[in-house]
Amino acid sequence: MRLYFLKRLGVMLTTLFIIATVTFFLMKLLPGTPYSNPDKLSEQQLASLNQKYGLDQPLPVQYARYLGNLVQGDWGVSFQFKGRLVTDIIFERIGPSVLIGFQAMVIGSIIGLGLGILSALRQNSLFDLGAVTMAVLGMSIPSFVFAALLQYYVGVKLGWLPPGLWEDYSYSILPSLALSVTVIAAVARFIRTEMLEVLTQDYILSARAKGISEFGVVWKHVVRNSLIPVVTMLGPMAVSIMTGTLVIEKIFSVPGLGEQFILSIMVNDYSVIMGITLFYSTLFILVVLLVDMIYGILDPRIREKWGEST
Amino acid sequence: MRTLPATGTSPHEITDDLFVHEPVAAEVAMEVAASAADAPWKAALKRLGKNRGVVPAFVLIMVITVLAFVGPLLTPYTYDGQNVAHSNLPPKISGLGWLGFDGLDSNGVDLYAKRNITEAHWFGTDEFGRDMWTRVWKGTQISLLIALVAALLDLFIGVLYGGISAYYGGKIDNVMQRIIEVLVGIPNLIVIILFILILEPGITSIILAMTITGWVGMARIVRGQILQLKGQEFVLAARSLGVSNSRIMFKHLIPNAMGPIIVTLMFTLPTAIFFEAFLSFIGLGLQAPLASLGVLINDGYKGMRLFPYKLVIPAVMISLIMISFNLLADGLRDALDPKMTK
Amino acid sequence: MRVASKRFLCFVTAVLVSGVALAGCNFGSAGKNDASPASEGKQGEASAVKQVLNVSEGAEIATLDVAQISDAVSSTVLNNINEGLFRFDDKHQPILAIAQEHKTSEDALTHTFLLRDAKWANGDPVTAQDFEYGWKRVLREVGPFGVFFEMAGIANADKILQGEKKPDDLGIKAIDAKTLEVKLDRANPLFLPLLPLAPFLPQNEKFVEKAGDKYGLEYDQVLANGPFVLNDWKHEQSWQYKKNESYWDAANVQLDEINVYIVKEPSAAVNLYETGKLDRVTGLTSSLADAYKGKEDYQKVATPTTIFMRLNPDVAAFQNENIRRAIGMAIDKESLTDVVLNDGSIPLYGLVPAAFSLSPDMKDYRVLNGQLNKGTVEEAKTLWQKGLAEIGQSGLATSMIVADQEYMRQTSEYLKAQLETNLPGFKLKLKTVPFQQRIKQEKAFEYEIALSTWGPDYIDPMTYLDMWVTGGQANRMKYSNPQFDQLVAQANKELDPRKRYDILLQLEKIIIEKDAAVVPLYQYGEVILQSQKIKGLIWHPSGPEFTYKWTHME
Repeated sequence: MRLYFLKRLGVMLTTLFIIATVTFFLMKLLPGTPYSNPDKLSEQQLASLNQKYGLDQPLPVQYARYLGNLVQGDWGVSFQFKGRLVTDIIFERIGPSVLIGFQAMVIGSIIGLGLGILSALRQNSLFDLGAVTMAVLGMSIPSFVFAALLQYYVGVKLGWLPPGLWEDYSYSILPSLALSVTVIAAVARFIRTEMLEVLTQDYILSARAKGISEFGVVWKHVVRNSLIPVVTMLGPMAVSIMTGTLVIEKIFSVPGLGEQFILSIMVNDYSVIMGITLFYSTLFILVVLLVDMIYGILDPRIREKWGEST
Repeated sequence: MRTLPATGTSPHEITDDLFVHEPVAAEVAMEVAASAADAPWKAALKRLGKNRGVVPAFVLIMVITVLAFVGPLLTPYTYDGQNVAHSNLPPKISGLGWLGFDGLDSNGVDLYAKRNITEAHWFGTDEFGRDMWTRVWKGTQISLLIALVAALLDLFIGVLYGGISAYYGGKIDNVMQRIIEVLVGIPNLIVIILFILILEPGITSIILAMTITGWVGMARIVRGQILQLKGQEFVLAARSLGVSNSRIMFKHLIPNAMGPIIVTLMFTLPTAIFFEAFLSFIGLGLQAPLASLGVLINDGYKGMRLFPYKLVIPAVMISLIMISFNLLADGLRDALDPKMTK
Repeated sequence: MRVASKRFLCFVTAVLVSGVALAGCNFGSAGKNDASPASEGKQGEASAVKQVLNVSEGAEIATLDVAQISDAVSSTVLNNINEGLFRFDDKHQPILAIAQEHKTSEDALTHTFLLRDAKWANGDPVTAQDFEYGWKRVLREVGPFGVFFEMAGIANADKILQGEKKPDDLGIKAIDAKTLEVKLDRANPLFLPLLPLAPFLPQNEKFVEKAGDKYGLEYDQVLANGPFVLNDWKHEQSWQYKKNESYWDAANVQLDEINVYIVKEPSAAVNLYETGKLDRVTGLTSSLADAYKGKEDYQKVATPTTIFMRLNPDVAAFQNENIRRAIGMAIDKESLTDVVLNDGSIPLYGLVPAAFSLSPDMKDYRVLNGQLNKGTVEEAKTLWQKGLAEIGQSGLATSMIVADQEYMRQTSEYLKAQLETNLPGFKLKLKTVPFQQRIKQEKAFEYEIALSTWGPDYIDPMTYLDMWVTGGQANRMKYSNPQFDQLVAQANKELDPRKRYDILLQLEKIIIEKDAAVVPLYQYGEVILQSQKIKGLIWHPSGPEFTYKWTHME
């Protein structure tokens, strides 16, 4: 097992290296400069700025220098927020994104699981039809619409919760709720479908035949065996939600990471683009690893694969 | 587990030539063959028909599809014809006033009467005075096409990739999963912006942009399912009977993973529709004045306080499409699922 | 298996705890605002109104390092916490600030400033050396605003920017602690109007060197000498000013506190305005603007950003004056701004926007020059047919590059319909590209029509005019007219403000009325909601956006 994970770590670093390399060179192909006011810069100014930041060097040299700094733990400084460390920017912004993302995942998973399980157990009932319709609406109406409605009705008209900004815990509730809609829809749809399949399997029949209580059958056998697609989907979803969602953060003025990334690409803030890319990829790779491990926990038959690879 | 041959070349394999066929009477043989070929389809169709949601869903999809092409012809307007004098008119259909199609704005003023406009715009107009009915149906055309393309891409690339990755496992799985990680890791937006610089905007470039990572979710779901399924008894049995890999994959594994595949497919539809809206915004998608449902919703959202119809109508349209596709897909899944045949 | 799932649970808990802990550290302290002794003190006095202003900004402060800034948000903060020799008054004219006296030599090349007794917030006096150090530092650090020293005509600035001289050669010298001497290369009417801008602020050498890499990055890494001090700055969330009690003119500063929140979505800002969290919001979109029309806090503000079409002369048809003129006249600009955009924008028939510059006789430039090249659709059609006949074509199929901003896209959709409807045979293809790409294509002449924008660098019509000189770096359409070039050079020397303004008026007429070289469309406007309580808030069209010094709440 240990060897397996050491190997995985090596592979992970290689993957990250490839991502960094490809991103670096693609990013440099983007039109424009990383300096503000590209409309106004004269050729003369551009040349002296490039010289100052070493952007007049050939690309491979720039790349080697970037990698060298990265290995020493230097992620560079932002161009857009002149002089601010990329690491500072990421770690300041990731907090709010993680909080609302995590809350959305928790709310979404609980409600989604509840809705999905109940509707699978009462397949074709009115409740089922309602739950499916709700889930479909949740996925076909974009989350910014829910966000805007929540903000206006709960935040302004009812005044129950702050409609925006980021000052104390109460400010995180509305964005989390708005974000959870998609999670609810996804979880409910997946668990329902998968449970319907599992319910027809032989081992469920035999569990029932053994006289295990209905609750026990559903909980221990059906739900557990239905979690694979949910986990497969939730893992990467958690990464993308918790590393920031452009629209929700913008609507609620949450100082998260989501908008920063898009903005950095638009203004060619090279060091920030690289920083966030690496940060995001690392998380994604870790979560994929985690999901693979959870497969083993959920279904011991999959675990044999690990033995195979050692 | 290791002793099990992973490919069909192992000498221990139980191949067809180990069996001797029992001679049967010709007509019996024909009967068996016929029923074996027809029965699953017949049964599936029968089950499909029985499902309560399927028929209305199918009808709805047909109606929407037909209207998407016929709808724009029913009015004298074109989707791009601007008329500033008619800008921001609320929906008005004579006879359907009780449904909200009364031509009153959010303050209850009849803008048609106020501006002396006699023609009725059924779904209202946008800020350019373009007829929303025509635009919504034109948009439906485009969004349906995009959704279809996205679904096919997902199905072909995602299912194949995820299936192969999980079924062969080991090194192949490892490499294939790392490729996915690289694809997901490289910022999509950078690649898309580079596309803009190379390609002419249009359906081809939309498809290319969607191809980069669109199928990854499906591949992962299929892989997870197949990992779970391939250890199960019926697969082992098929293997030991020497059934070929592709046959095991397409006849045994993928049909059993149909549920999550179909659900994932249903999620790609709206994702693709909104992804296209995003592409249009940064300049790679449809070029204005063409519009898709996603673009209409994005635009409508900005005016939702004062002109709710601009958001509600395309949103209802997407929801209708999605609900009917989902009902249809659920029915299809139930009908095709091999476990339900028992 | 049981052990494994327990471990999994542990992991989930760990993630939960660390997630909340991580996130928790980034909340602002909400109670802080009300606990400030200053505002309580004021409340105890006669006025019951708290002198607290709450406003929003659309973006984070990029930096407060004077040498590095280049954006309006940062300029605004510096304008309110710092003060240079001059500051802008309510008419955007430079008035004496840290300088209490200004003497000009006969040849207008040497300017001597006598500084008043002013203090930095740490107690140090503001000296002439602070100016000398600050100005040279901007050039040493290759600051984006270094060009302002060249625009101001300060001796050697152009050579320093070219790399031919050292920043230490800049024509500024501290004669003694309170006397500053600035030498110019040429007599320059623009020198004084530029002085209130950020690069000309003083910098306290001791403080800057001590802060090092952190200078200007946190609220306690900047040193105030202006009406306010920065009391707090939560990145991407908010910043807070407090009154600077050690400011030389503190007696005339009424606000105790200003809270600025970063709100990027106009609808969110409006929601916060409705709940009373904000006293002023900007940038209302069309639909929101309509919803508040007629209310007393509704205002339209014309910004100085101009939107116009560049026509690439490499396209044969655009060398024809009649065709260029026809394009301009075929567009109904009023419907574009009032109906389609409906966001406070106003039609523009010239290069210089309205409500931007006043003549020495206090008349608006736009009013003086009037609506140039305005015509009817019929005139446009006639010119169009005439032009087509001249170039021997029956129509024109061309394309326009458009940056991927919302209002740009709307504008381009409207232009397409207008031109194709009003000019028979005109076919326009729209190409949406990222903003940076539009600039790149413009510079490389890889466009046929470009939907362009321009914002001013300083408050003088010249900022919209000298870009069109032959070979100018922002020209980007090979416009060249010797008469124009010669008049620009003349204006840059003319020290009599009235004569100079006449030249500036002529310049616009040459390029728009005579040559019809550029197609102006509109100037970007903003619909804002501003609480009736706010009095004396000054908004500037260029440089810093606001001056809070004379603002108070009623």
